[in-house]
Amino acid sequence: MEIRTSRFGVITVDEDRLMNFPRGLLGFPNYTRFALIQTGNGNYFFWLQSVDEPAVAFVVTDPNTFFKDYDVPLRTETYEDLAFTDIKFAQILVICNKVGDWLTGNLLGPIVLNGENRMAQQVVLTEKKWTTRQPLLRLTSEVPLAKSA
Amino acid sequence: MLVLSRQRDETIMIGDNIEVTVVDIRGDKVRLGINAPKEISVHRKEVYDAIRRENKAAAQVKPEDLSGFGKIDSKQDREPKK
Repeated sequence: MEIRTSRFGVITVDEDRLMNFPRGLLGFPNYTRFALIQTGNGNYFFWLQSVDEPAVAFVVTDPNTFFKDYDVPLRTETYEDLAFTDIKFAQILVICNKVGDWLTGNLLGPIVLNGENRMAQQVVLTEKKWTTRQPLLRLTSEVPLAKSA
Repeated sequence: MLVLSRQRDETIMIGDNIEVTVVDIRGDKVRLGINAPKEISVHRKEVYDAIRRENKAAAQVKPEDLSGFGKIDSKQDREPKK
């Protein structure tokens, strides 16, 4: 389908890249449909682009690329809300922000995605180990992904 | 807003199955105990607010903020770069 975006113009995405957030995201409760779009530089980063609002898009990434010990305990209600049939379909993404020279990840409010039915939800961790602005990498002009670990 | 006075060890009910008990009061700090069904998530409000704020800020990120890696994968990007 075609999606209008403020950042990339009109883009075409496959139906299987569409995610459904029944509750939206915190602060954005009304936008429930997003497309997960690959960026030009491999698989580290994606754009989560709202289908409903051209200007709403987030950079997201797999937090385990940066933090091997990061783990999201899946609560019963999340399991039921996202209609999981098997935990193996669970994928975790975090929303990234630019803070000064750094790209940060919101590890306190990760996105849980059910890869089987592509329903997703932003959850809030009870553990205080992670922050909303966990530094991921420094944005420099040369090869930012060289420091991805 | 409904305002109720409670003493230590007293409880309020929210609906039929959520209990909030005043466990301890010390100075300006109140400790609450919450009994709720598993499907009700309970969080400190400031955590929610922080995540909401961070989402709003993250929605302002533009591809050009990202040293080039925020571009979407068009055919042109797949051409080998010299």
